Amino acid sequence: MVFSSLTFLYFFLPLVLSLYFISGKRVKNIILFLSGLLFYSWGEPFYVIIMIFSTLVDYTAGRIMDRYDNKPKVRTLVLLVSVCINLTLLSIFKYSSFLIGNMNNIFGTSFNDPNLPLPIGISFYTFQSMSYTIDLYMRNIKVQKNIINFTTYVTLFPQIVAGPIVRYADVEKEINNRKVSMDMVGYGAGVFLKGLAKKVLLANNIGMLWSEVKVMDYGKISALTAWLGILAFAFQIYFDFSGYSDMAVGLGKILGFNFPENFNYPYISKSVSEFWRRWHITLGTWFRLYVYYPLGGNRKGLPRTIINLAIVWVLTGLWHGASWNFVLWGIYFGILIIIERLVLGNILKKLPSAISTVYTFLAVLFGWVLFETNTLTDALRYIKAMFGGTRIPIDSLALYQLSSYFIIMIICIFASSDLFKTFINGIKEYKFTLKIYEVSIPIIQTVIMILCTAYLVDSTYNPFLYFRF
Amino acid sequence: MNNRNNKLSAVLFMTILLILPIMTLASKKGTFSDVENRNLATPPKPSIEHIKDKSFMNGVEDYLSDHFIGRTKWVEAKVRQEILIGKEEINGVYILNDMLIQKLSPPDYEKVDKAMEAINNFASDNKANVYVMFAPSAGGIYSGELPTNAPIINQKAFIEYMYNKLNSNVTTIDVYNSLYAVRDEYIYYRNDHHWTPYGAFCAYKPAIKRLGFSEISYNKYHIEHASNDFKGTLYSKTLYDKITPDMIDLYNYEGGAKVLSVEVNDGMEIKEYESIYFREYLEEKDKYLVYLGQNQPLITIKTDVKNDRKLLVIKDSYANVFIPFLTQHYREITVLDLRFIRTSYNNIINMDDYNQVLILYNALTMENDDTLKVLNFK
Repeated sequence: MVFSSLTFLYFFLPLVLSLYFISGKRVKNIILFLSGLLFYSWGEPFYVIIMIFSTLVDYTAGRIMDRYDNKPKVRTLVLLVSVCINLTLLSIFKYSSFLIGNMNNIFGTSFNDPNLPLPIGISFYTFQSMSYTIDLYMRNIKVQKNIINFTTYVTLFPQIVAGPIVRYADVEKEINNRKVSMDMVGYGAGVFLKGLAKKVLLANNIGMLWSEVKVMDYGKISALTAWLGILAFAFQIYFDFSGYSDMAVGLGKILGFNFPENFNYPYISKSVSEFWRRWHITLGTWFRLYVYYPLGGNRKGLPRTIINLAIVWVLTGLWHGASWNFVLWGIYFGILIIIERLVLGNILKKLPSAISTVYTFLAVLFGWVLFETNTLTDALRYIKAMFGGTRIPIDSLALYQLSSYFIIMIICIFASSDLFKTFINGIKEYKFTLKIYEVSIPIIQTVIMILCTAYLVDSTYNPFLYFRF
Repeated sequence: MNNRNNKLSAVLFMTILLILPIMTLASKKGTFSDVENRNLATPPKPSIEHIKDKSFMNGVEDYLSDHFIGRTKWVEAKVRQEILIGKEEINGVYILNDMLIQKLSPPDYEKVDKAMEAINNFASDNKANVYVMFAPSAGGIYSGELPTNAPIINQKAFIEYMYNKLNSNVTTIDVYNSLYAVRDEYIYYRNDHHWTPYGAFCAYKPAIKRLGFSEISYNKYHIEHASNDFKGTLYSKTLYDKITPDMIDLYNYEGGAKVLSVEVNDGMEIKEYESIYFREYLEEKDKYLVYLGQNQPLITIKTDVKNDRKLLVIKDSYANVFIPFLTQHYREITVLDLRFIRTSYNNIINMDDYNQVLILYNALTMENDDTLKVLNFK
């Protein structure tokens, strides 16, 4: 199930929330656990088994580690086994086609590609449940003995399919004991609706421009169309992903959880390193805590630091998808970050902030070209078109696209930079405007909810017309 | 934000969340949507099979959205909001101030060439004189009024291109200029992709001369405004209701020839009607069907015209509103819709009966269906 569907919003959510609010403290986790299973099976009725299996493995690993608390060798062995099982599952389902395809290419072998489907959210939930065993091993958290509580953590429906990657340590206390209040429900509803609006009103709308440009012949598009297209994608992926994270955080609040934030205005960053501290924050945190630091981080001298960064960035690329363009995309950012660490970082600090913001945004934009085109050749052709390689700077199609998407583009720029936040903070300065702001918030939320519902209903509006008849 | 406001947000959120599904559940469920011209989803039945292939889950979403309370109102609200933020094109339809115009994709010239070849083959295979008339669509006549920079297809040039592909034994009928000259008149529907009877009449004038008759002048006709609330296909695509609904005009020539019978062959059985106007469709949503009814494989119209002229019309729906004007000139008109024909036309009609054949299509949609290739089958 996805949040931006009528089934979720007007069937699953009202049902689950009603049951959740009227039931007693003890039953709440059971309701969450069951609803999480229903939510997940709705999209993955068969591979839900994989998720249950991996949850049981990590639960058992936790119990054994606890039982043999004073036998370091047993604990290490258990950790290794559980991490191996998790990574094996991830590799089989996510990377087998990629590995087999590459092996066949390089060695001329002809292994059959099993063509396994990628179970929804597997990249998210394996990382989540791995955080439990690793943190338990490092004695950052206490063991979870209650199997319902542990399963509730993994299957928590707000975050299971698309993050944020909530570490067990983040919600350890709340899983066992949390407060559900009207205040938090209202606050959470606001965050949820903000996310829904980002996804349904902004991402889907601006995304139509990119889906139009993406399928065009890159050898024939005008430079303006190329820029508009990739700009549209940059906004689409940001509002889509951060919208989903907001919805998760908001739903978490409604249920009484405090999930970590996942995005913090990434497009206003003044360096690529900063961008990655503001984009998909929980993934960065995960790699830092469980890969970069254990490898020694930056404490083992410059050469080791660079190697460690390289490892992290290849993995980050691979995490986003099993194909070479994602690896390339990861390496691209890895290289930029290493360069920034070595030389560029100090220069960027001295430059006017406008210049460093533009540098970062452009670097990210070219990154998205790598991310979205399937081959390096396509990526290069696209970038060439952006720089006038097709010898068509502007054509009427580009102008039509510009005028059709102008307002939505402006809204996207406004909402993805901190202009909007600055504006709100400005309003809060004065008593009078603050009053208006507070009164208008519930009204705006209601309008957003109604508008999003209209978009969801419309997405299935499907007139069957004999146009030629 | 303060406490009180959060509580208000919580109450509003939960209220909407509960009220809409409850109202949806309680509402009466229809089975057919007039506006969308399709059957609505039926409640999905859970079974292992349907859960495994997710058709049950998709069925729930379809059912919920098809029967969502006030479904069309939601879509209308969304369209208004889109226009508010500067969209000039909704669901493949341009929104102009006073009319909707279908956005067409550029022609596929390979297909066009094949279709013209089929017409050439047809003309050389048969003795009858073949006449071709490609009518422009509203987007061609009003290309200057489309949104700024919107991709334009030069329909005048495109029709000329097609006519140039035809052999000299095929007579082409240019109606583009006749229509363009009267572009300020009501020649295309505002909410539908067809031309109006007046548009068809303006094309009839040059056409009938080419076919060898003198025209029946406009003032001979009595025009009945049979309906003034027709909202056609373009309205259905957009649900944009700020455009004046269309009129359904029926042209009658009191002192002229009378239609004796209209025989409709739907491929299974033959039914006979008295009029070329099917008034029962005035009560329905798609009122364009008043003209000659539903599209059917074969229709034969007999009139009391005192000559022995018989005409074969090979056509799409643009012809439906045009054919009434022909009934003043021919004793018998046979109307063939190739979209329903999978076999040689010789199995259906006797070509020796006709000394004239009129091929009448809307220029831009003609090439999208490959049905003209049927004309290659002898």
